[in-house]
Amino acid sequence: MTRREWIALVSAAPLLEAASSAPAAPVAIAKCASYSGDVTASLASLFDRLGGLDRIVRGKTVTIKVNMTGSPALRIQGRPPGVTHYVHPKLVGATAHLMGQAGARRIRFVESAWATGGPLEDYLLDSGWSVRGFLAAASGVEFENTNALGKSKRYARLPVPGGGYLFPAYDLNHAYEDTDVFVSLAKLKNHETCGVTLSLKNCFGMLPASIYGDDAGVEEPNENPATGRGDTMHAGKRQPSKSAPSELDPSSSREPGYRVPRIVADLVKARPIDLAIVDGIESIAGGEGPWIKGVRPVQPGVLLAGLNPVCTDAVATAVMGYDPRAPRGTAPFQTCDNTLLLAERHGIGTTDLRRIEVRGTPVEQAVFRYEA
Amino acid sequence: MPLFASAPPPSAWVPARWTWTDPKTLDLLSGTPINCLLLDSYTVDFISRAAARGIVTLAVFRPGADPADAARKAVRAGMQGVVLEGDFPKGAAARVRDALADTGAIAIELASRRAMALGGPEPIIGTYQGVWPGVQMLDNGAARAGPSGSLWISTNAGFIRSARAWGPAAVWLGYRPPAHSVITGERYGEAIGDAELAGGRWILALDDDFRARLERGDPAALQDWRGMAGVLQFFETHPEWRTLRAYGKLALVQDPADALLSGGILDMIGARHTPVRAIPGQRLTPESLQGASMAVNVAGEALSAGQRQILTNFARAGGTVLTAPPGWKGHSAAPPDQITLDNAELNRLDDIWHDVQTMIGRKNLGARLFNVSSMLSNVVAAEDGREVVVELVNYSAYPTDDVTVQVLGAFKHAQLLTPAGIQKDLAVYPTEEGGTGVDLDRVSACIAVRFRLE
Repeated sequence: MTRREWIALVSAAPLLEAASSAPAAPVAIAKCASYSGDVTASLASLFDRLGGLDRIVRGKTVTIKVNMTGSPALRIQGRPPGVTHYVHPKLVGATAHLMGQAGARRIRFVESAWATGGPLEDYLLDSGWSVRGFLAAASGVEFENTNALGKSKRYARLPVPGGGYLFPAYDLNHAYEDTDVFVSLAKLKNHETCGVTLSLKNCFGMLPASIYGDDAGVEEPNENPATGRGDTMHAGKRQPSKSAPSELDPSSSREPGYRVPRIVADLVKARPIDLAIVDGIESIAGGEGPWIKGVRPVQPGVLLAGLNPVCTDAVATAVMGYDPRAPRGTAPFQTCDNTLLLAERHGIGTTDLRRIEVRGTPVEQAVFRYEA
Repeated sequence: MPLFASAPPPSAWVPARWTWTDPKTLDLLSGTPINCLLLDSYTVDFISRAAARGIVTLAVFRPGADPADAARKAVRAGMQGVVLEGDFPKGAAARVRDALADTGAIAIELASRRAMALGGPEPIIGTYQGVWPGVQMLDNGAARAGPSGSLWISTNAGFIRSARAWGPAAVWLGYRPPAHSVITGERYGEAIGDAELAGGRWILALDDDFRARLERGDPAALQDWRGMAGVLQFFETHPEWRTLRAYGKLALVQDPADALLSGGILDMIGARHTPVRAIPGQRLTPESLQGASMAVNVAGEALSAGQRQILTNFARAGGTVLTAPPGWKGHSAAPPDQITLDNAELNRLDDIWHDVQTMIGRKNLGARLFNVSSMLSNVVAAEDGREVVVELVNYSAYPTDDVTVQVLGAFKHAQLLTPAGIQKDLAVYPTEEGGTGVDLDRVSACIAVRFRLE
């Protein structure tokens, strides 16, 4: 992206939709060519540019939702998932290390592990991640599989303030409630249903399949989920377990491109993200995982972080070569509503690039076009 | 018997199909463990040159004319035996053995899987049937998930384990490479490893293209050939692994009439990398269950009252027994050319598979392995339990980094062994379940980890 293109993108934004009064926050960008480089130093530079990690995490419980979408058995050309569709374990370890250095009291890594309610540690090991390495990276590191009840005895009910697009509240694993700081550690990649997978879309994975999965119990959660959430949440073919709040309007569109962006916006409204980190060092383009035909490995060589997830995703979307305010029908939102705009409408953050201060590497120097 | 003094015993024969009759091609065998050639045609010169190198030769006959006369002729020419490949009329193998009785030569049957003489007196049993092993791939290079929740790996390992449980005979698989396919050296390595992992042997058979390239000395083909020999050598230099017992607490009581069904279940359990000992129903004894804590009984109504009592006693002593539902029958009515379970049978298997999964859960029943979805494993132990060996074969064309192996038992030492000759001590650490863990940087074609108490 040339500087001229960047200015054109920024100045075109208000023509598409009036910018909201949603809050703005700075976003930091750092170039990081590969995972063999000093990922920790690059990440630390981002946190420094955001005012330092200490003030966010010192003495606090930090819950970090990592993006490990799909079965770890599925690989792209045999590559480790961290260099394709998962966040990279080296970045996860660096995050733990820096959080520990900054004085976090407890660092809890969470993910709703695909099709299992078993320990997250097993899932990490099956992904080729070193659980022992994470435990050594900082004190107070722990893990929770949020695909089911996990280590708690009850689910946490998180209402969507002001009412949700699809659901009024969501029943989630306790880890999303029992925390002082919530971090979305996401991947810079496309998504077949939502256009992009960034810090917002990463939060779709908070939904426990025990309640929102295709084999969820009708009345009560199924604590041994073995499927995804396609029929229930993407397509709305069935309702979640009756133990959880039901859908506001079961007669609304069943189209995944309508539903999933709204569910994501609802979730992020219900469980605010305090820190968004986007791993764009190595990734894939064309979809979110190996099951999408035509995905291809890419190496954007970039890391992003911000204190507002909508602002962070807006900048990240621009880094991918897209307009973050693009309407449905325009890349990358050809077949879906724009999750960022829906989150903006919830008042979470602005997508207006003119209002977002970018620190570190300028967008026009970081851009990596995802369209083939 | 026309075996020369230096001939290895049949249990140590490492077989390959050999279509060449030029003695110069025997040079290809230098540095390989292949010591037994199956010949469709032969010359006396070739046989004697092979014998001079300590290589056993076997004549291959297929259904048609009575093979007894041809078998005698082959043995008179200096061959050490014959292979009857295919479904011969009943009694044909016995007539050949009668014809060779005074020669000491051996007759090996490569029959359909269903016709294999399991538990018989022959030192080698075999089948011409098999699946070409490998991970099923999607168009974009991603591997396909299978019904057992892991990748779908086509394998013969379960069948071999099931067949080997019947007796000490060596088990040979005589299937050939798929036609009209480009087969890389790595894929040949997978076929070799697939059989060796389970203690059997694949009769090495080359596709036409590879054979032609090898014959003219193509450097890439020669390199692949050496790689295949390396995989063979890796397993053949550890013959003791074939004699170690299955390590683990899960037992599968097999249907006496259906090694295929048992093999299918063993493959499903194997995909979860759960060590399992296969026990044919008629060999079920209290001793055969010693050390086990769980038993899956798919023999069902085929067990005698006494055998059922053994399982009852096992349960009374604290063991868990999972029995197929009443009326549940296996596969014995399927056509003879069917060697894998079809969808209907897989659905029937689901009747008990869900229960097996629930029963196994995440318990460590001998070993737990992580990041091994493209691999199959075999976990065996010395009788005294002082040594446990975990063998891994990778069915993906790509190496896998960062594999974790955890075995039950507090072992002080672990050593990595690879076909490249690497023998590297590994750092061991205790696991939550009182076991021992090691981390492996990378698994390419195959490896083994040897755990030792001291």
